[in-house]
Amino acid sequence: MDPIFNEAAIKIQNSSLLEYKKKGGRVIGYVCSHVPEEVIAAADMLPFRLRGIEIKSTAIGDSYFGPFVCSCPKALLQNAGEGRFSFLDGAIMVQACDSMRRLDECWRKAGTDFPGSLPDFFHYFAVPHKVTDYSVQFFAEEIEKLAKAIEEHFKVSITGQKLDEAIEIYNTTRDLLVQLETLRHRDSPPLTGSETMAIVLAGTAMPKSDYNKLLEATIEDLKKQRAKTHAGKPRILLAGSVVDDLTLIDAIEAEGAVVVADTVCFGARAYSGHVEKGDSRWQTLARRYLNEQFCPRMFGYSNERYELILQKFKDSKADGIVFQNIRFCDLHGSENGLFNKRLDKAGIPNTRIEREYGELADEGRVRMRIGAFLETLGRGKSAA
Amino acid sequence: MITAGCDVGSLTSKAVVMRGDRILGSAIIRSRTKPEEAASQVLDEALKQAGLTRKDISKCVGTGYGRERIDFVNDTRSEIACHAKGAKWLVPTAKTVIDIGGQDCKAMRLDEDGSVGRFVTNDKCAAGTGRFLEVMANVLHVPIEELGKLSARAKAPVVLASTCTVWAQADVIEYLNAETSIEDIGGGINNAMAGRVASLANAVKVERDVCMTGGVAKNIGVIRALEKLIGQRIVIPRKADPQLAGAIGAALLAREMN
Repeated sequence: MDPIFNEAAIKIQNSSLLEYKKKGGRVIGYVCSHVPEEVIAAADMLPFRLRGIEIKSTAIGDSYFGPFVCSCPKALLQNAGEGRFSFLDGAIMVQACDSMRRLDECWRKAGTDFPGSLPDFFHYFAVPHKVTDYSVQFFAEEIEKLAKAIEEHFKVSITGQKLDEAIEIYNTTRDLLVQLETLRHRDSPPLTGSETMAIVLAGTAMPKSDYNKLLEATIEDLKKQRAKTHAGKPRILLAGSVVDDLTLIDAIEAEGAVVVADTVCFGARAYSGHVEKGDSRWQTLARRYLNEQFCPRMFGYSNERYELILQKFKDSKADGIVFQNIRFCDLHGSENGLFNKRLDKAGIPNTRIEREYGELADEGRVRMRIGAFLETLGRGKSAA
Repeated sequence: MITAGCDVGSLTSKAVVMRGDRILGSAIIRSRTKPEEAASQVLDEALKQAGLTRKDISKCVGTGYGRERIDFVNDTRSEIACHAKGAKWLVPTAKTVIDIGGQDCKAMRLDEDGSVGRFVTNDKCAAGTGRFLEVMANVLHVPIEELGKLSARAKAPVVLASTCTVWAQADVIEYLNAETSIEDIGGGINNAMAGRVASLANAVKVERDVCMTGGVAKNIGVIRALEKLIGQRIVIPRKADPQLAGAIGAALLAREMN
């Protein structure tokens, strides 16, 4: 596995990004998987998914957000305030959930208190909560507005041809990541959940043209691998709140399990479906980025999300499901509870944990719970 | 076959030495900053009581927060598995186990064979745990083992509005300043603790017999208040100190090892 995957997974200013910047490349950060990266790429810029990793405190975040708010946007603001996002030429805010929506206001205010922390291009992007004819139309117009805002601010032109090229590249990435996921379904997965997550995370933090080549080569290598390193370990499906660092999966795997599938943001949620090719590109982008997202921010699709979990559970031959939510994540917290009850009735082993975002401060507590869950599967560390 | 169980918790470390179904020696000490030192000391104390040495132990299982740091164990198991096993040994009819330790609180439902069917643990904070009672006992200048007895003498137990241990402590200080009786404050503290534990216990759907383990099982005030809230009598282990349940379970699991 190329070392850049791991580097980009744990370091925001990774060497691939710095190289890109050194060559004069421009970067636009975004905070939600509903942002169509193709639009940014078509402007010859790098779409970069923002993460709250590497922070040692949320002192800045805490002073702008209320106390009962998910620590994810707080960590993002912390990084902005500490200058870790200084490479950004622009940023796109989304009302992904209520906490993430507040990041728009908090970052704008923090921009006046921490000079240089607010990128010159700072765009609020509205994403509907339902999929209907009129919401897809609204969303298509939002995407077009985003494209126009980028064109005007950066004096660039987003042409149909450029969009088609970007759609092609991003669809290829999705195909490759689906292939990677399929490899995890093997009886003996050729890589751990943590290694997979590192690969997926790297894709959000480096140019796709480089990434796709490395990913393709990695998949070819993994296809040939026949070692039984992870055979016989309890197989876990990870679901719930955003997971954008490796520590949670590391903690699960340290208890003797292997994470073989997920439905989390930054994980499988980001690469499902294709953007169709067609004349009305705003429409096709809108359809993919509304239809192929499985976040509980979308109203009325709880059953579909439940079915998706069941399907992934079956496809990956998982033994159990770990639901986790970041403290104060109302969306995943409540849906995890509903799914937990339904799965209990269906006789599918599952557990729920609540955690803080980011590098695990309470690793001991989480590991105890995971270890006990694996024991209830009859597949604990000593059994593995 | 002589086996040992070592439970290194956040507040106390416990060790039990068993031969078959009989406890030969046990010890409870205050945990130290280094879990491996606490484990070593508590096991040696239990062995001393049993008149044995480490060479006499065939197998040893470690559990608790510090379990990964104990170098002399043959295996480690989660507190959930150990407490369930220990509780079933202490109270063979137990179907529900409530364990309140120093910084966590667990409720478990046992299957027919005594294995854990379902469990929940405190997630949001450690307000419903032994540490809560310890802080409150300190504020009241009452030994922790006396705190439970205050409930029986309380005439009008106070209500602690805050879930947060620190703010609840501030409430207690206010009651003390208002010259509220120690008994009424103590009763309120035990009721508050029981309320937090009850919500956790109800999450696993309490089924008879309910057994309580962990250090807080020695607090009669919390037990009586909890019985009212869950509508079930709680069986208090008599066979051994309920605080030893995790270590007992670990020793029993050591016996089952190949």
